[in-house]
Amino acid sequence: MSQATSDPSYQVPVTVLTGYLGAGKTTLLNRILSENHGRKYAVIINEFGELGVDNDLVVDSDEEVFEMNNGCVCCTVRGDLIRIVGGLMKRRDRFDGIIIETTGLANPAPVAQTFFVDEGVRAKTRLDAVVTVVDAKHVLQRLDDSHEAADQIAFADVIVLNKTDLVTEAELKVVEERIRKINRFAVIHRTERAALPIADVLDRGAFDLGRVLETAPDFLSGADEHEHNEDVTSVSFEVEKPIDPEKFNMWIGMLLQEKGADLLRTKGILAYQNEDRRFAFQAVHMIADGDFIGKWKDGEPRVSKIVFIGRDLNRPQLRRGFEACQVG
Amino acid sequence: MADRPGFLVEQRGTRRDLGAFIVAARFDRAGSLLAFALGDGTLRLVDPADAATWREVAVHDGAVLALAPDTVPGGFVSGGDDGRARRISGDATMSDLGVFGMKWVEQVATHPAERNKGLIACGVGKLVHLFDAEGKKLRELEHPSTVTGLGFDAKGKRVGTSHYNGATVWFVASDSPRRLEWKGSHIGLALHPEGEAVVTAMQENALHGWALPDGKHMRMSGYPGKTHSMSFSRGGKWLASSGSDAMVLWPFFGGGPMGKAPSELAGGDGITCTQVTFHPQQDIVAGGFADGLVVVADVASSRIVPIMPPGGSPVSALAWSQDGGFLAIGTEAGTAGLVDFRARAA
Repeated sequence: MSQATSDPSYQVPVTVLTGYLGAGKTTLLNRILSENHGRKYAVIINEFGELGVDNDLVVDSDEEVFEMNNGCVCCTVRGDLIRIVGGLMKRRDRFDGIIIETTGLANPAPVAQTFFVDEGVRAKTRLDAVVTVVDAKHVLQRLDDSHEAADQIAFADVIVLNKTDLVTEAELKVVEERIRKINRFAVIHRTERAALPIADVLDRGAFDLGRVLETAPDFLSGADEHEHNEDVTSVSFEVEKPIDPEKFNMWIGMLLQEKGADLLRTKGILAYQNEDRRFAFQAVHMIADGDFIGKWKDGEPRVSKIVFIGRDLNRPQLRRGFEACQVG
Repeated sequence: MADRPGFLVEQRGTRRDLGAFIVAARFDRAGSLLAFALGDGTLRLVDPADAATWREVAVHDGAVLALAPDTVPGGFVSGGDDGRARRISGDATMSDLGVFGMKWVEQVATHPAERNKGLIACGVGKLVHLFDAEGKKLRELEHPSTVTGLGFDAKGKRVGTSHYNGATVWFVASDSPRRLEWKGSHIGLALHPEGEAVVTAMQENALHGWALPDGKHMRMSGYPGKTHSMSFSRGGKWLASSGSDAMVLWPFFGGGPMGKAPSELAGGDGITCTQVTFHPQQDIVAGGFADGLVVVADVASSRIVPIMPPGGSPVSALAWSQDGGFLAIGTEAGTAGLVDFRARAA
């Protein structure tokens, strides 16, 4: 059934597809579009690849990034997306979701930040997930010779590890290990020719505050096993005493202000003192968002967790900072 | 729900559900034909003096994004997300002015064929395509980023545009544009009718202006939201703007707007103003709000006349006929309104 609706309060889900040229983005996109799911998507593309996109509603857009004059040095936003989302809302009954395909060299941050920063876009859409398509055969080389490949992996909620038929199982393990060092928290799907169930890619709710960290595996295996040769890494901490909201806000505010340029994504679930509800927090660089979500379950340990994905993460300093936010 | 008494659309107007997002409303150059442009790709045409007969014309495969009266009476120029700019005449015949592939035609502006020949401009991505009244392409004007606002000056000698990091004023007949720079994303444009200023709306909930000819900067801030609609009064004394919970009017006289506080009209209930448009002859301004309320305000006395009651959907289009005799209204949910302001025969 189509979910197309003219209900003005309905927020259209947006999926961002990133990945290097040749990784299989367009193949995945065409699979999503051709599958018989009964849903219609508006597709925003930024470059014409060798493969055409087979869809009724395709918008060709120049990636136009600008810096917000809001005091955040790294707050860059895609003005073209603000305009196009506004235009699409004039015919919102014609589609159920929006898919944005970025160029191979694109930094995903401006796309994600657009969905945090612009009031009109925020009101009418919700960022569902960043899906990064990775070429199993070439990704290691890409990671060695470019920033962008690591950024795209770091930003991912879902990683489609494609072209697995072109590498051996042993090579695949090495690739997965490398991806995990950058981003321990994304879900990885191994694929050939980008074939996977569409439900693994769409309607993930990964940017939904209520689902922040829900899919994060290995939370407790926080052992510092990664060597410090990876540019982008991820770290996570948890504390058992309740968090003092004032201390946390002070600390995270300062941290994002000072280190926001290096912090690609931050996510947290917090147990505030004298509060039955969980507080969910997330940020892209300096731009943060947070809200109370459902109650802690009876008997559930009220453990506060936080995850950082970024460059030059000072693990002991971050740990001390987070620990100092506990009621003490 | 019964309307509260006193709304002018009840006594002197008509309302109609058009069933799709109303993107724009425009009267033709003679004021004898009104067009509503819709998100379903159609224009709805009606004679304002006889609002009984409405005609539907399918113009774009997608949404209509921009609408302007044609250079001569009786027709319109539209832009759509099907990459076409089209001319539509009153008898519903159509022709393509330009076909631009997958790029949206987001901006259309025209200058009437009166003393000179008439001009049409279409903003498509970073380019503005300039045509004469016959539809012959004259020039392409290139910009550093997508054009977000477009307009002719009162004499049709200059074209203004807004884009990233400022605005540009082109002379129609010359290749040396005036670049007006200010860092950031500029999302809309208003040209002072006497050529004394260029004003843009910005992403950061503020207006930026340049006084002409010296290019002195003007900054007008304090908006809680983005300004999507701006309109100068006939002589350029006032600039009305949306984006606050009132119509915000900046004085462009007596040394203003710098160092002057703006006038705020029809505010106080916390509902965002979404559309403004000045009467073509008098210092009277129409304003539409996010709850569907439409009012007309007399600037000198601040007297407010209620026009259309709140219907829940934001006002997305407002237009006066050239003689000020009619006001057309459109909302996001597709409610069209038409109010007759002409003096009644005894």
